[in-house]
Amino acid sequence: MVKEHNILISSVGGQGGITLSRVIANAAMIQGLNIRVGETLGMAQRGGAVQSHVRLGEDAHGSIIPSGGADVLLALEPSEAARVSKYLGSQTRVIINTAPTYPIPVMLGQAAYPSLDEITGALEAIGCEIFVVDASRIARETEAPRSLNIAVLGAYMALSEAVLTEDTVKESLRKTLPARYLEQNLRAYEGGRQALAI
Amino acid sequence: MLDEEGSHKLLMGNEAVARGAIEAGVHVAVGYPGTPSTEVIETLSRYAEQAGMHVEWAVNEKVAFDIGAGVSYGGARCLVTMKSAGLNVASDSIVSVAYGDLVGGLVIYVADDPGLHAGMEEEDSRVFAALSLLPMLDVSDSQESKDAVVKAFEYSEQHSVPVIVRSTSRVAHGKSPVETGPIQKVPRKPHLARDISVFTRASPVWCKQQHTRLIEKTKALVPSVETDFNRLKMKKGQRHGVVASGVSWNYLMDALSRHGVDVATLKIGSVNPLPVNQLRELIGQVDRLLAVEELEPYIELRIKAMVADTDRKVKVLGKQDGTLPSVGEYDYDLVEEAVLKLTGGEKRCDDELAARQAEASSLAPRRSLPFCPGCPHRGSYIALNQAIKELGYKQDEVIVTGDIGCTILGMHPPFNSCWNEVSMGASIGVTIGLKQAGVENPVVATIGDSTFFHAGMPPAVNAAWGDTPVVIAVLDNEITGMTGHQPNPASGYNALRKPVPRIKIEEILGAAGIKKIKVVDPFDLEESKEAFKEALQHDGPSAIVLRRMCALVARRQRLTGPPSHVDGEKCTGCLHCVRTLSCPAMEIREGKMEINQNTCEGCGLCAQICPFQAIEGGDQ
Ligand SMILES: Cc1ncc(C[n+]2csc(CCOP(=O)(O)OP(=O)(O)O)c2C)c(N)n1
Ligand code: SF4
Ligand code: SF4
Repeated sequence: MVKEHNILISSVGGQGGITLSRVIANAAMIQGLNIRVGETLGMAQRGGAVQSHVRLGEDAHGSIIPSGGADVLLALEPSEAARVSKYLGSQTRVIINTAPTYPIPVMLGQAAYPSLDEITGALEAIGCEIFVVDASRIARETEAPRSLNIAVLGAYMALSEAVLTEDTVKESLRKTLPARYLEQNLRAYEGGRQALAI
Repeated sequence: MLDEEGSHKLLMGNEAVARGAIEAGVHVAVGYPGTPSTEVIETLSRYAEQAGMHVEWAVNEKVAFDIGAGVSYGGARCLVTMKSAGLNVASDSIVSVAYGDLVGGLVIYVADDPGLHAGMEEEDSRVFAALSLLPMLDVSDSQESKDAVVKAFEYSEQHSVPVIVRSTSRVAHGKSPVETGPIQKVPRKPHLARDISVFTRASPVWCKQQHTRLIEKTKALVPSVETDFNRLKMKKGQRHGVVASGVSWNYLMDALSRHGVDVATLKIGSVNPLPVNQLRELIGQVDRLLAVEELEPYIELRIKAMVADTDRKVKVLGKQDGTLPSVGEYDYDLVEEAVLKLTGGEKRCDDELAARQAEASSLAPRRSLPFCPGCPHRGSYIALNQAIKELGYKQDEVIVTGDIGCTILGMHPPFNSCWNEVSMGASIGVTIGLKQAGVENPVVATIGDSTFFHAGMPPAVNAAWGDTPVVIAVLDNEITGMTGHQPNPASGYNALRKPVPRIKIEEILGAAGIKKIKVVDPFDLEESKEAFKEALQHDGPSAIVLRRMCALVARRQRLTGPPSHVDGEKCTGCLHCVRTLSCPAMEIREGKMEINQNTCEGCGLCAQICPFQAIEGGDQ
């Protein structure tokens, strides 16, 4: 029985962070786990920062992860990994997609955007273990341009301590996502999994 | 949503409310969109036909509630939904209907927003239970949300009183497992029998009797709520107790299971009536009591009053002694710290870790919310700003009042147009007041279509009646955009997506008595600018309807144009377009503007403002 497993998904609106949380939660549901999902909807459509908390296991009561309590962070955008540091601790395994999405002030040179090294350095200082994945490229190369979220899911499933099983995740992909995109999503999933497979 | 009894589903709080309505055999569901309550009607509208339920959006919350009262008087069950601000709008009717009797069950679902995920105010609707004297349930997760709605209908019919079910963002938008119950078939009853001593407030004698009865009705619910929605767990000898309600209850459960502390707990699921017997039992035994509730110290003050009525000394921890805040939402850490303060434990603080976490977060750039690519409001504000400038005013010489919705995003750079934001429809009344106060320069109100129908019509009549020279700019994107694209009378279809005739805002404005009205396309900057210039110079009330479908709706209906292109040869890299329009489809590569071909909606605004004609597009 899983006591408590906390997955945090951090993204920019439009990247599919909410869809990813649905896939994970439905997989956990199929697996018969207790689940709490906390989401801030509303800003998702318009390019704002979006966070989903998915808490699995008997001891998950609140829908928000206690500070420092994430077991896994799936960051679909590099600076979004840094934004949620409050929830990270020395036990957190972080998967970061390396492709940045720049806000307009950054493009105009009016605001700074951290380098990938700065971000990973800051997270390592917290004690996190970091896995860097170019999920946007994997999505492109597997001809699944809108599936970078599922590529990150594949990478997560390559980590040995993933609580979900491959079968339930694939079943959830089938049940949760539109059938016409299933092939694309499975390709992106496989691409992400291989990127972190040892 | 229509699964049989005993199914296990992972549902969002609002979906669970919808399921509760289906189980309760609700005949009519009506609401006005507002985060975080919107998904109830959205969910029900998808299953309305199969479930044999009538589902509709009203133009505002008061109208929604009045419809609900009518449904009840007509003998059927009605669920009315709204966000906390909507309760203010509906309150006039609610307080009155509360005094009378009902026929069919009437339940109001209201969702608050501690933590301000959707902006606006952090209003605590529980206080409205004290004001209206109505029964109110307060839920912690999806299962409770569903169960509360089903029970609320029972209470409502048993006691002939409207019942409020109150939720909050984290519950309404959070997901947790739900076990479904049976779907009831509830027969409609005959409509109300004429009895003006019950159904009018016209006589003080009747009203006093009604007032007395209302108090008795709510009080009579104490035994039911104590078994249905409140749980006291207390062992002999426990000296510490915690009372918690809403989402805080879950954080408390997390804290207790992590720390294994030994405290008595009382889960409060009914705000009105409170479980007074259980509270009395708790107060009779413990010496220290912690009240955990978001926003106002509603329960805490009641506990203190109850303690004062006894001869016991009980130390009450909560907001008043600074243990917990009344601003913002709660989380695990706040509740954990409060529990440890109660029991004399010490919270292990890792300052070094906190500092590292803060340092890492500070790296993240701000992501402000711009208009979407292809948003028509972008054109409206550019045209307004250009008109102000061409008439020889500086931007800070013409007051532009803002209103609720995506339209208010015009307050941000690079537009910097709107000066204020009050409440639905207020933009127009405020311009009238500015004029009455003696502001000489033109004043402009900007308001969206849904907001205009909600509360913008009365002040438009006022402007015409008083012949006050204000400019009413209705940014009509034919949808309720900010809350996630619910139809309104300007959309041409209803909650079930069935086509219905559009109601034209210019015709309403004309009928209101405004003589100078122009309808323009905000993607045509020249036309829109000229309309603003005329209106700004007009010496009576005037209106401009800037009509163009919301880009996200247009995209879904495949009505947006092909993406625009930048001619790299002609682009000088001045970035005037990026600075002026701040469109998220724009990218900068090697100093020049490039247009993202996946996200550009081909609105053509950038092509119209490029000083070097380097952009091609916008032929929709
Ligand atoms: C009394 C009240 N009810 C509901 C809301 C929620 N709300 C925020 S914006 C909005 C409507 C916006 O629609 P519209 O006026 O058409 O402007 P758009 O967002 O489409 O630009 C609503 C209903 C609110 N803020 N206050
Ligand atoms: S949702 Fe529609 S109205 Fe709102 S910013 Fe986007 S395009 Fe504009
Ligand atoms: S045409 Fe220009 S302004 Fe319009 S969506 Fe495309 S890039 Fe943005």
